[in-house]
Amino acid sequence: MIPIKYNLRSLWARKVGSLMTIASTGIAVGASVFALGLSAGLDQTLEVSAGPLDIIVLRQGSSSETASGVSEAVAREILALPGIATDQQGRPLAAPELVVVTYLPRRGNAGSANVTIRGALPVSRDLREGMKVVEGRDFQPGLREAIVSRKLAGRFEGLGMNEEFVVQDKSFKVVGLFEAGGGATESEIWTDQKVLAQVANRTGGTSSVQIRAASKAAQETLLNHIKADEQIALKAITEVQYFADQAQAGLVLRLLGQIIAFFLTIGAMFAVANTMYGAIATRAREIGTLRSLGFGRGSILTAFLLESLVLCLVGAIVGCLASIALTKLFGGQSAGTMNGVTFTEIVFAFSFGPNVLMKGALLAVFLGVVGGFLPALRAVRMKVVDALREV
Amino acid sequence: MPYDASDSVVQLLDVSKEFMRDKIRIPVLTNTTLHIPKGDFAAIMGPSGSGKSTLLNLAAGLDRPTTGRVIVNGQDLGVLSEAGLSRFRSENLGFIFQMYNLMPVLTAFENVELPLLLAPLNRAQRRQHVEAALRIVSLADRQDHYPRQLSGGQEQRVAIARAIANDPVLLLADEPTGNLDATSAQEVLDLLELLNTQFGTTIIMVTHDPKAARRAKRLLHLEKGTFVQADIEALETSR
Amino acid sequence: MKFIPLIIRNVLRNKIRTLFTGSSIAMSLFLVVLLYSFLMIQDEILEATKPYNRIMVTNVQGLTGNLPIAYLDRIRKMDEVRSAIPFSWFGGRYREETIPFAQFGTDSKYVTDVLQEYKVPDDQLDAWQADKTGCVVGALIAKNKGWKIGDKIPLKGDIYPVDLELTVRGIYDGDSTVDREQLWFHFEYMDEALKAKQQPMAGNAGIVMLRAKSGPIMPELMEKIDKQFASSDAPVRAMTEKEFQQSFMEMMGSVKFFINVISGIVVFSLLIVAGNTMAMALRERTREVAVLKAIGFGRGTILGMVLCEAVIIGLLGGVAGALGAKLLFATVDFSRWLTGFGFLYVPWRTALLGLVLAGFIGLASGIIPAWRAAQLSVVDGLRKIV
Repeated sequence: MIPIKYNLRSLWARKVGSLMTIASTGIAVGASVFALGLSAGLDQTLEVSAGPLDIIVLRQGSSSETASGVSEAVAREILALPGIATDQQGRPLAAPELVVVTYLPRRGNAGSANVTIRGALPVSRDLREGMKVVEGRDFQPGLREAIVSRKLAGRFEGLGMNEEFVVQDKSFKVVGLFEAGGGATESEIWTDQKVLAQVANRTGGTSSVQIRAASKAAQETLLNHIKADEQIALKAITEVQYFADQAQAGLVLRLLGQIIAFFLTIGAMFAVANTMYGAIATRAREIGTLRSLGFGRGSILTAFLLESLVLCLVGAIVGCLASIALTKLFGGQSAGTMNGVTFTEIVFAFSFGPNVLMKGALLAVFLGVVGGFLPALRAVRMKVVDALREV
Repeated sequence: MPYDASDSVVQLLDVSKEFMRDKIRIPVLTNTTLHIPKGDFAAIMGPSGSGKSTLLNLAAGLDRPTTGRVIVNGQDLGVLSEAGLSRFRSENLGFIFQMYNLMPVLTAFENVELPLLLAPLNRAQRRQHVEAALRIVSLADRQDHYPRQLSGGQEQRVAIARAIANDPVLLLADEPTGNLDATSAQEVLDLLELLNTQFGTTIIMVTHDPKAARRAKRLLHLEKGTFVQADIEALETSR
Repeated sequence: MKFIPLIIRNVLRNKIRTLFTGSSIAMSLFLVVLLYSFLMIQDEILEATKPYNRIMVTNVQGLTGNLPIAYLDRIRKMDEVRSAIPFSWFGGRYREETIPFAQFGTDSKYVTDVLQEYKVPDDQLDAWQADKTGCVVGALIAKNKGWKIGDKIPLKGDIYPVDLELTVRGIYDGDSTVDREQLWFHFEYMDEALKAKQQPMAGNAGIVMLRAKSGPIMPELMEKIDKQFASSDAPVRAMTEKEFQQSFMEMMGSVKFFINVISGIVVFSLLIVAGNTMAMALRERTREVAVLKAIGFGRGTILGMVLCEAVIIGLLGGVAGALGAKLLFATVDFSRWLTGFGFLYVPWRTALLGLVLAGFIGLASGIIPAWRAAQLSVVDGLRKIV
């Protein structure tokens, strides 16, 4: 086995070339990780939104709250069903909620988009784990006041603290900003249900009913019960399922991420192969010497593959770090796109979780092995006598 | 031997050249004066580091002296810019190197044509010059060969053809036989002699090889940056 | 010009390296061209709609707002309006597909007048008008889903709580800027079904699309429409088709920004890759450069030759990448796998942009190596062995 030291020193001896290769693999891996992190972030946002025992009740046939409707009478019926979890005071943890969409201009003159406004009840808050007002105060029932996700506040005109925005032709005042653990709720504005219903002409019904089941078994029973009741024509699905369906919203982004990763990786592979060919050409004599000292073809192949791997892994680490750092630096903490199911803006954070970083590392290994293989093969094929004669 | 300065192709007037290496001044040539008359064939010998190559580089305008003047074919090289020097070389000088230094990607013909690309010649005129030069070195039949398809001696002859293609006043040869076997070396030296006698080309040749030096009209011996007494007879006797 | 043979020989000197560098540039440019096509096609389609003088009217609150169908008649009565149709997004589910394709409830009598570049054969148009549950589909989506005239298309309502049972009566076609992945059905069919269920959503057109009698009167007409409905229950906003599509694109949000960022990064990366290649190439040729300079090649000539070589390598990659993308998307129909992406093609503008970018990458990557070659000291260069 040829000591890895030999390869490391060789890389060091060709500093500029090595650095350039590290930079180009780093960029390829970094950009891929950036794109994959974007799509993973969207998925994650939808994933963490779901409570395991939660059920969402919608009108039959609709796949999102924005397109759904549940009448007041039916909602009351559902709230009376057995199997719903209760709070300390014994009230059921379930809330009919009204979702309205408003069209708001983005900050920085970047066009407009639909934003979700949720008309909530006090119990709605208990159904969202980790939701808390972090600035200002909560809205007061009966007033045209609203609290806004902190992420959303920075992205749209009129959603900042103490600013005002318009729904239909009535203006609402932002009195507080909230956080909600990174889920889909962080793409919403919350206000009093009655006020919103009046403003949006949606009295007499809500969009959905949110329910927390008392147990897994109770969840099953509730789902079946609502499905079975043909009179009310509603569908009940677990929140996990609801958001999994919405993950379709990320299709364009996921596709984009994969396309980017694919092309950049292949592109970088050629660059790595080039560098390794160069390295081997200039070291023909050294390779000949190693062979004449008794190192076998296998160890030459391994040595050069390792050298290429080291290059790519260093590149990948640099790329991943740079990608993460740049994202943090440019406030890219949050990004927004249109949810293809609801046509409303969904705000999400980049996610560079272990999954994404593993993909980055895999790309680097792939780059190193495939990019280094042909050149290493050439090193192996060299005839000792010719290689030694090489100037 | 007294020289008529106006008849000189190369004049080095009180030339000194120093190199700086790690802040230490290394004098290579010290107050050297040299006249090479038209039609001369001078061989310069001397141990490594005696300043032979430096002398050649100065005469070619590839390097500038620390002090003193270099005048080639009546032109003071010190007043020329980089671009001026390039043009001057392409119009007046021919080079022959120890390692031949042909472009591996070009055929013999194209290699010889290379310096002509810089002259105001059309394609047909260039072809004429190239063919004439290749005839002189007796390689007209090899014009489409690439350097790797030629022997060392042939490569050097192509290099000579390249050097004479633009009809230079002065031919500078740096160890032209240094890489060749005895027979090829003979051929190359014959060729240089021919160019000197038949075409009147002035030649300065740096060499380590006494056999090569003996073919010159004049032998100059450099030691530690100055010329010392030497002549061809002395060379003969020392053998 | 005289130096071209030598430059080309140098490009081909290390064929594997040139091939790999070219391929690296090609792959990355393919990506950039693809991403930009995505953005540019939007513009191109928008530009293409300009001569048709179309105006879109929606609720002030955007697509989710209410636009009473009664407004349609009031709009049609305006002097400046040639014809108008409802254009109501149904968003129904087809079989097991999770993402709905484009389905619009419209008016069969005027749709081909408003959307004049969408061509439906007359007999098919008649057949559609005669069938209350009939529909017309785009040629592309018909091909991809294997629909023929007479086929049934069941659509399960999602936004609307009604299901539609449609029959294909016609197929429309048009050139590449025409969206040939839509389905049109009778607005009345959907609306009557909603009324039958006593749904409050009945009577909502969603969008009214109209064709103005001429281009110059459009700004005035839009203002007039805005004003006419300003004080009603459902105030509206009229905008040109172009503005409408743009606002839709804007909803995609940060995607555009990320495409720009990624493209920028890719170009930078290519500069490094190509620069490294040129540096390697010239390091190996140090001696040759020195010889060229010795025999009288000036700095400018050397600089120009190296830059030229770099540009050629860049362009090789550009031709393969940019024109390759153009060709691939011209011959392969990707909408078969990705409904809604039937519009994806590479406009000439984008392909040429890619080519120019490739040339620029070549040029920029050659600058440092070329500069160093031009500055090379002949004396040092000749001394150097390698």
